[in-house]
Amino acid sequence: MTTPLLDARGLVVRFGGVTALDGLDLSVAAGETVGLIGPNGSGKTTFFNALTGFVRLAAGRAQLAGSDITGLEPRRIAAHGIARTFQRLRLLLELSVFDNLMLGQHLVLDHGPWSNLFVRRRFTAEVRRQAEAARALLAAFSPGLPARLFEPARALTMIDRRRVEICRALIRDPALLLLDEPSAGMTPDETAELMTDLLAVKAQRPALTVVIIEHDMAVIERVSDRCVVLDYGRKLAEGPYAAVAADPVVRRAYLGED
Amino acid sequence: MDPGLLAQHVFNGLMLGVIYALVAVGFTLFFGVLDVIKFSHGDVVMLGAFTALAVSVGLTGGGVTSSPLVLAAMLVAAIASMALVGALLARLLVLPLRRAPAINVLLITLMAGTVIREGVRLFYPQGSNPKPFPRLLPGGSSELGAFTLRHDSAILFAVGVLAIVGVHLVLTRTRLGLAIRAVAQDPETASAMGIPFTATVLATFAIGSALAALAGVVNGLYYSEISFNLGLLLGAIGFSAAVIGGLGNVYGAILGGFLFAALQTIGAVALPFASAYKDVFAFAVVIVVMAIRPAGLLAERSAERV
Amino acid sequence: MTSSVWPALAALVVSAVGVLALLLAEKQWAVIAIIIAAGAAMFLARRFDWNERIRRSGAANSRKVFLAAMVLVVGAAFVMREHNFALLMLCTVMLMMVAGLGLTLQFGQAGVVNFAGAAFFGIGAYAAAVFATKTALPHLLVILAGGFFAALIGSVLVLPLLRTRGHYTALITIAFGILFKTFLEVNDALGGPQGLKVPGFVLFGHAFNDPIEIDEETEWSFYLAYAGLSLLLVAAAYAFVRRLERSWIGLAFDAVRIDETAASAFGVNVAAWKIAAFSIGNFLIGVAGAAYAMMTGFVAPTSFTFGDSLILVSIVILGGLGSALGLIPAALVVVVLPEKLQAIQEYRFLLFALLVIVILLVRPGGLLPRALRDYRVGAPR
Repeated sequence: MTTPLLDARGLVVRFGGVTALDGLDLSVAAGETVGLIGPNGSGKTTFFNALTGFVRLAAGRAQLAGSDITGLEPRRIAAHGIARTFQRLRLLLELSVFDNLMLGQHLVLDHGPWSNLFVRRRFTAEVRRQAEAARALLAAFSPGLPARLFEPARALTMIDRRRVEICRALIRDPALLLLDEPSAGMTPDETAELMTDLLAVKAQRPALTVVIIEHDMAVIERVSDRCVVLDYGRKLAEGPYAAVAADPVVRRAYLGED
Repeated sequence: MDPGLLAQHVFNGLMLGVIYALVAVGFTLFFGVLDVIKFSHGDVVMLGAFTALAVSVGLTGGGVTSSPLVLAAMLVAAIASMALVGALLARLLVLPLRRAPAINVLLITLMAGTVIREGVRLFYPQGSNPKPFPRLLPGGSSELGAFTLRHDSAILFAVGVLAIVGVHLVLTRTRLGLAIRAVAQDPETASAMGIPFTATVLATFAIGSALAALAGVVNGLYYSEISFNLGLLLGAIGFSAAVIGGLGNVYGAILGGFLFAALQTIGAVALPFASAYKDVFAFAVVIVVMAIRPAGLLAERSAERV
Repeated sequence: MTSSVWPALAALVVSAVGVLALLLAEKQWAVIAIIIAAGAAMFLARRFDWNERIRRSGAANSRKVFLAAMVLVVGAAFVMREHNFALLMLCTVMLMMVAGLGLTLQFGQAGVVNFAGAAFFGIGAYAAAVFATKTALPHLLVILAGGFFAALIGSVLVLPLLRTRGHYTALITIAFGILFKTFLEVNDALGGPQGLKVPGFVLFGHAFNDPIEIDEETEWSFYLAYAGLSLLLVAAAYAFVRRLERSWIGLAFDAVRIDETAASAFGVNVAAWKIAAFSIGNFLIGVAGAAYAMMTGFVAPTSFTFGDSLILVSIVILGGLGSALGLIPAALVVVVLPEKLQAIQEYRFLLFALLVIVILLVRPGGLLPRALRDYRVGAPR
């Protein structure tokens, strides 16, 4: 067996007296799409936050492509190739769509004073190149979006904002993409549309690895190769969607059946 | 150091501490209910002192000679009008900016403070000069070695402590206090439980500003002089005290008030440089404390949610 | 899309003539008439939708407009060559803009609050006083030293600034401002409450404080030389801040201001960018302070109070947080109006405070709100 892209072992996170992650083991193979489900408060978002360095691990280790990312600052983890979206959208609404995408490119762009301040010719050429790349990526999600590249993100509809947030995470070609409930605040139709786009992008980039948190079971069924169910910060079940959905333990804990 | 002299410094420090604590409690109460800093608070202290002064000048001019009567009228007028001013500032400037960046509230109240300060300077008769504040408390003193206890200071200290205890009782024993704590904890849940949000906020600002008025009068009686710009430093000190204690924590603010006074006293008497550096020393320590404990000594709030 | 340079140029010339008239007006009725005319012009511009056209024309021809503005300032200074006071005001406006550019970079772009602007201005001023009297440093370098010292002393605050957020950060700068002013008052080495004398600026042997003699009868104001110096500083600072804003660096500043969490999730080193913005901003404020001190000839603690810091903040808010262009009208309003309208001179702090309150309540974007970032100088859209 090859080493997994993401290998998390024994993750423990505590908030005061509450144990949000309780010795979670989770590994994801390169190119895989894993659906992460579980009731509210079962530790899904905490898992993302722990992986990306926003909450401190009390115990456990996380490795990405063989290198240890445990306890690093968020920006260092980003440099290892993890990109994410947020459950509560975190676009920079007062900036343009382009600016938001360029935040996703932060680690790639040249911030040196020389090109930024003095030799603007090189900088302008770079802007042009980046704008082309951004348009191409946006077009994969919605044909109307590229034309709105220089509009403020605030002017976009909810679904377009979600699209831009996902593009911001995708633009740097991350090794691992973490999607935190992309359907939140959208209609089922919009969600289905977004998933179609996502699957199309995934088809173009077979190496892209995705972990997606979702409440919408239809989404999970459609996009995930494998499904992990969390409950009380622990792994309750794991396997293909059909098997997991049929598991009586899961049905009791999560799907609300007894 | 001579024990009498030491006692003297300690008492002077405690006296300052009570004034600072009264101001700091206001800052922390406002932050508790609305997560805002109302920087005009120091100028409300000053306006309270000037209101009291105007009342005393009016009454004395009108022939009232009984000191207790004048003092009572001054206190009532200052406290009532500042409670109103506080509620008005909250209604007109702070609540409308609830959804704006928090720094805008700080800015707008800084400017409101400037308006109050300049208003007094320009429109109070000879407002730009320091004003003598009437000595209305009994003047005697008791001596104990090198320690002189002025009776008026002792009374002021007791009044200040009583006011702080009073606030504590209001917060813990009354329905209003319960409402204030509930709103501070979680405004949405509080309104879902039927606690009127706006009314509670306005009441909180009224209480905080009433305390500021009391602090202003106590300050005036203690120094026998007030000036239009006393609120700037007092506001900055009260803010510092509330922040050192941990914003939102009433006991932290009281602790912070006494700590700041202690720092100033130490800076003035116990350190090897001129006493004029006491504020430099005290504010420098505040900055260092903030670097070590960025959310104050008794921090309550946890990190922002991602 | 190409856009003609003329709308922006016309607006620029009209504004320059208005400002010149205001600076030279001596009668109160003239001052009031100019203010009314300015209000009417703004109303008309809005009524006929000129603003958008002017903005677009300016954005598409930024380099030409920038040069034209410099030429106009030189022209205006020349017209005022025999009027000391008008030139002093012009210089003050330009130096306040330099300080405002520093502050708007910190406050409006990177979101690092600074309520001690007057203190950093003061550090620059005192550094200039000390370096110009105690050393033989060329005066152009003295001015840079003022900026350097402001940034250096500001770095003491870096650790507490990085560790705290929001109100706590605001308190640190307020405490520092009060501490600084108190320190100046009680410190004998720096002249105490009386302050220090600062020698005038000397460049290549020319003493700026000497009047410029043209012939037997005509003498030009020595402020003319300072106007040149101030213009040089403000033009450099403006071009620098604008380029910074329209670069990846400016984007990083914005990301740090708007959402530290999102920024760090994409690899932004929040602390480093905050330090950069704070230091660059303090440098600019210090440079302004140093030049101002050399122009006015003395420094004293009373010029660097918390109230003065608030005035600087008012300029930034009035113009529009983060907006470099907005600083021009804002600095004019805050510096010139109270000097020109004797009726309000006494009430100026009161009126500015009220003005800022109104701005925050009804137009939080300021007079000329900052526009969306426009990277291109000629890039296709």
